[in-house]
Amino acid sequence: MINIRTKFRRGDEVKYISHLDLMKVFERAIRRSRLPIAYSQGFNPHPGMVFGLPLAVGVTSDAEYADFELTDDTLSANAFAEVLNKQLPEGLEILVAKTRKTKQNIMATIAASEYNVLVGISETPDEKTLKQGVQKFLAQDEIFVDKWSKKGGTKKVDIKSMIYDLSFELQTCGSFSVIKLDMLVSAGSKANLKPDLLTTALFAFLGYEYEIERVHRTKLFVQAQNQLVDPMDGIVL
Amino acid sequence: MHVNYFIVTYVAMEAKIMAVKLTDKLLMSVEKPSRYTGNEWNSVIKNPADVNIRFAFCFPDSYEVGMSHLGMKILYHLLNEREDTYCERVFAPWVDMEAKMRENNIPLYALESKDAIKDFDFVGFTLQYEMSFTNIINMLDLAGIPVLGEQRTEGQPFICAGGPCAYNPEPLAEIVDFFMLGEGEEIINEVMDAYSDWKGKGLSREEFLKSIVNIQGIYVPSFYDVTYNEDGTIKSFEPKDPAYPSKITKRIIKDMDKAYFPDKIIVPFTDIVHDRIMLEVFRGCIRGCRFCQAGFIYRPVREKSHERLVELAKQLEENTGYEEISLTSLSTSDYTSLDDLTSGLLNEMEDKKVNLSLPSLRIDSFSLDLMEKAQKVRKSGLTFAPEAGTQRLRDVINKGVTEEDLINSVSLAFNGGWNGVKLYFMLGLPTETFDDVAGIADLAFKVVDAYRAVPKENRGKGLNVTVSTSSFVPKAFTPFQWEPQDDMETLYQKQIFLKDKIRSKQITYNYHDNKLSFMEAVFARGDRRVGKVLVKAWELGCKFDGWGEHFKFDLWIQACEECGIDPHFYANRRREYDEILPWDHIDIGVSKKFFINESKKAHEEIVTPNCRASCSGCGVTAFKSGICGGTEN
Repeated sequence: MINIRTKFRRGDEVKYISHLDLMKVFERAIRRSRLPIAYSQGFNPHPGMVFGLPLAVGVTSDAEYADFELTDDTLSANAFAEVLNKQLPEGLEILVAKTRKTKQNIMATIAASEYNVLVGISETPDEKTLKQGVQKFLAQDEIFVDKWSKKGGTKKVDIKSMIYDLSFELQTCGSFSVIKLDMLVSAGSKANLKPDLLTTALFAFLGYEYEIERVHRTKLFVQAQNQLVDPMDGIVL
Repeated sequence: MHVNYFIVTYVAMEAKIMAVKLTDKLLMSVEKPSRYTGNEWNSVIKNPADVNIRFAFCFPDSYEVGMSHLGMKILYHLLNEREDTYCERVFAPWVDMEAKMRENNIPLYALESKDAIKDFDFVGFTLQYEMSFTNIINMLDLAGIPVLGEQRTEGQPFICAGGPCAYNPEPLAEIVDFFMLGEGEEIINEVMDAYSDWKGKGLSREEFLKSIVNIQGIYVPSFYDVTYNEDGTIKSFEPKDPAYPSKITKRIIKDMDKAYFPDKIIVPFTDIVHDRIMLEVFRGCIRGCRFCQAGFIYRPVREKSHERLVELAKQLEENTGYEEISLTSLSTSDYTSLDDLTSGLLNEMEDKKVNLSLPSLRIDSFSLDLMEKAQKVRKSGLTFAPEAGTQRLRDVINKGVTEEDLINSVSLAFNGGWNGVKLYFMLGLPTETFDDVAGIADLAFKVVDAYRAVPKENRGKGLNVTVSTSSFVPKAFTPFQWEPQDDMETLYQKQIFLKDKIRSKQITYNYHDNKLSFMEAVFARGDRRVGKVLVKAWELGCKFDGWGEHFKFDLWIQACEECGIDPHFYANRRREYDEILPWDHIDIGVSKKFFINESKKAHEEIVTPNCRASCSGCGVTAFKSGICGGTEN
């Protein structure tokens, strides 16, 4: 039994499929590829695949991760990626694959995620004003947002501690501006901040009417030895 | 002026087929957007510049329903085998998507290229059920294609249609340019060849239709005249030119093993109704149940060999990665090599972890044993379709199932640990009385008794019997094509009567909406004049009528009134045997004489043996195929 961790890309072509559908895509791709995936025991055997952090519908990513459990110890990670890539639809592509020795799967260890969020506003603020606004936003002691709770309705949550980093680039074009936000936020089962939630909080604070044009995940991190590390880093494999 | 004119036409030609622009914002605002973006595994992508023919294969219902349809899968890949043709899929956008498309002036587009279909060469519809007809009109309108054939001009696509509802094509006669009757695998290639000859020569639309009208199975409704008697029945139906065929004979595939079948099918991203490999075991049905249109229009029975089926299953599994294979046919237990087929499939698929699903199997010890082996699912529900509650009525409809058969089957199933049984019946069958309706309740209680007779240690816990009744809709090309449908009030009385009879904790009773069955009956046996009602109903806002939540009966009645059409004339009237029926110019191979004879036997409660037991001389032997003198004999 070996474990292979993969990093894959999810492009525009497949950004509208749900997380559940994505798992089905991988399951069927693996079946077609005849790769020796391990199946769980029991009445309804499941293939040994664990995905990192589900991506919201409509979001693209250059940093998705999945762990695969395989029954053939001699299979190389590179061969696995090469064979699987031939069976993946346009927009899905394994970028890196490495053998994993540690026990912790990707889903359990995700700690942070980096996103690019493109936001359009029909105003033309100058760089300095915007910078001051963002600084003031981050300097608050608490940043409360309305979060949908699973039971229905919303509740107030303080997201301040979930923001690791937030920067922006401003591009003005005639009477409107495009703001590219780069954000590093908490992710995973313990604390998870969705990029649109932070965007909403920021623009409510800045007082601009805005529209999110696109969201793209650029990096994902796991927690190891009290720091954020790349899931492909040797210390977590 | 002249120069300007030249530039304008040049630009128009260059930009003839345009891809639609679907923004993230739009797609994020609708349910399940992946239904509208294509790119599924095994979908065919071609460069439009490399082909001569663009074909939009339209299913007039949602993606989930349309993608589950086997015929579309076959013809999609068959057309795309042609180098000169690019066949793409089009489904009815769900109401939220349609609203967004109309709001943003986005015309109906094909899933593969996202190109607007209004300038395609063909827009083809598959007609699976009558209550999808308004979606055809809606889709044409959304595409920006004139709804009526006479309004379409040079440069606009030809609208064609096929499928079971094409056997009574008359309600769509003014909308569809030509119908393809019967199995499409060969005829569609012949039509594409003829089109290829016609295209680019500057000939009229009529010239093209003339070039195909003598291909067997082609029906061009605009080439025929209908006149009516004062009582509303048809007086005459004549070709406008003696060169056009007066009878249109359906097409069949003679040798199913040699028939085209794709070795790959599209694997959708999102869940669809039948998300699995469908292995078509045979076409046709030996049974001859008198209410069943499929049992007659697909005659004769033609099987695929079990060797070919196992081979196909292997290829399809390899190319799709599906985890389930389902055997499809009208009555899989009637397949002559079922044992060889299932053992071959189980053998091949076991270590690939592929489940075999076996719908429409008669329940006996063989099939229960098979299910045990094939399906690693919970022993929950088994489905039976006695269709009628008494032996008398089952004889009338020629359903060769007895009470003893049913009780033996359910007893076997209960002994094997199953604890759920679904029983399907029809209300409103010809000659039905309230005694027959009461018989449904009796049968359900006998099933409960059969469960109680099984020792506790053998049976599953918690019995659940579900009785479902649909309302009988008389269909063209059945022995019941002359029968009146029960009026809605009578059907309602029967439903209430039955509901009252089956008050039991173990039995659940479900029944269909009579209003929907009534409208279905109007179009199932409608003539050309009811086409106006379709257009009017659509104008009033009808679409997705097959979906209960969208069916607006009041609007349908309003549409009938505004068009001066009496729906009862079509649904509730008994026809005489010598009346000219709207579909009499279509020849499915089964003779009218046979249907009349079957109709009389029904009223005399005499059964007709199945095709394998003995030939009853329906006329289909003329096709010299399958059970009627082909490979099977």
